[in-house]
Amino acid sequence: MSGYSTIGGDVSGSVPAAAGADHVALQFQDSNLQTFPPTDARGKLTGSSKPPRDADDTFSRPAEPEQFGWHGYFNLLSYRPYFNVDTSDVVQRVGDSLVPFKGDFVEKTATNPDMYGPFWICTTLIFVTAALGNFAAYLAHKTSSAGDTHWHYDINKVSWSAGLFYGYVGLLPLGLYFVLKYLGVATGLVQLWCLYGYSLFIFIPTSFLSVVPVEKFKWAVVAAAAGLSATFLALNLRTHIKTASERWFLIVCGCFVLQLGLGLLMKLYFFTVQFS
Amino acid sequence: MADIEKIPLHASSQSDIDEIENLFQISVQPAAPVDSSSRRPPSPPRATIPVTPVASAAKSKGAPPPPPPPPPPPPSYPAANLDASSSSETSPAMMTGFGGGPGYDTLTEPVWETLKRDINQVFENLKNVVFPNPYRKDAGKALKDWDLWGPFFFIIFLATVLSYSASADRAKVFATVFAVLSAGAVVLTVNVVLLGGSIIFFQSLSVLGYCLFPLAVGAAICMVRDNKLFRSVVVLVTVAWSSWAVYPFMSSAVPGSRKALAIYPVFLLYVSLGFLVLANN
Repeated sequence: MSGYSTIGGDVSGSVPAAAGADHVALQFQDSNLQTFPPTDARGKLTGSSKPPRDADDTFSRPAEPEQFGWHGYFNLLSYRPYFNVDTSDVVQRVGDSLVPFKGDFVEKTATNPDMYGPFWICTTLIFVTAALGNFAAYLAHKTSSAGDTHWHYDINKVSWSAGLFYGYVGLLPLGLYFVLKYLGVATGLVQLWCLYGYSLFIFIPTSFLSVVPVEKFKWAVVAAAAGLSATFLALNLRTHIKTASERWFLIVCGCFVLQLGLGLLMKLYFFTVQFS
Repeated sequence: MADIEKIPLHASSQSDIDEIENLFQISVQPAAPVDSSSRRPPSPPRATIPVTPVASAAKSKGAPPPPPPPPPPPPSYPAANLDASSSSETSPAMMTGFGGGPGYDTLTEPVWETLKRDINQVFENLKNVVFPNPYRKDAGKALKDWDLWGPFFFIIFLATVLSYSASADRAKVFATVFAVLSAGAVVLTVNVVLLGGSIIFFQSLSVLGYCLFPLAVGAAICMVRDNKLFRSVVVLVTVAWSSWAVYPFMSSAVPGSRKALAIYPVFLLYVSLGFLVLANN
């Protein structure tokens, strides 16, 4: 019988004091916030056998399945360990993602992979590409001689970019995780999300540069950024799975090509202006 | 009950307790010699934790008492009236209900009174959040009577204005703006909670919604003129104002080393909305 998750909940008031018979039904599970002494039907303040467990020692491993049971996935606080980063950590990780040639990103983030970076980099990218894509179209409209069509803000860019970036960063690491599991490679899903999320950071400055209405410049910038991003991803994946499977080269190449594809799609949809 | 130490009530409990107290004064029949002028018991869910076990002294029933940490719910109805104020204070209240006493009844007041009360509350909260006032330093005090009418109104107003002044895909503009603002407020609050901060969920939603007021004003002004330079100035001013309004609340909610992590997404939301206001035509 699974225990109770005790965030904010307090069952002890209803414990019959003289029960003693069935201890199994009254397993108090430790949580990140409240620290009850376990498995004592006599009440909370008597006989606390071990010191309250601190929240910090749950951060080295994901807390959801072991601690909360299956309903930990629905409890917001069970995701707290993945946001245990300071500003300086995030800045450092972002800086690491801009220099793709070291290949040790995954080891550096192995003990503390965070989901803050991936999520907010994706969200920033969504707004930035939508806004700057519209701005690029506006500039192109003004500098060209196409005075006939009235330029209007294209709100569809926001929803399509949301679908593209959230879908890419959300689903591709999931697929990769399953493929790696199938091949028997030990890897963590959150680490893959972390890696993919930070690899997208370089597209943010790229979007700013793609506003310039010169087509060749746009292609050059996007190609450089996509190349850097894909290299970062590929090198880190390579160091992560190289020793674990013979098919590593295929997987790494596949991810490289997909990242290049993302860059291409970004350029074609957001920063290419068609004059019909 | 006069000698227990209490951890002081949260500021937002005090207004509720005042209201309850007023109702008691009006509706309590002085049958039992009740010492209700002394300290009141706290309303049960709020956390004042009596340090000395009050309930066991009062009950004296001989049940083996583990003193439960949250204050005990009021004992059963026909408790002896020599009990402390707890039982006799709550049972008349339970019998008459809120607003059941003579002379004070929100059920039978005119509709305009009800509306006026809510509108006044919206204005009060607006003044506390968006305009300079002495409460700004204390974030929890600034919006202790949070409400969601104000944020709802501002979100709808912004979405309507932006969709009205759009020339294409008006329904999509409305839907996108509404979804981004409402989901954005929730996501921002969840972000603070996940970073280890401590805020009250709905209070945070309320503050984030009220801080949209400058942007709503800016959108209304930008609807008048299409000149991009004019709009840029207006958007810049209003985004700065919104960020200034929300900064004390968000930054006090998280530990110092993560302040930028909590503030940046708020800033992102307001800037992207400002850009939409700027570019809309």
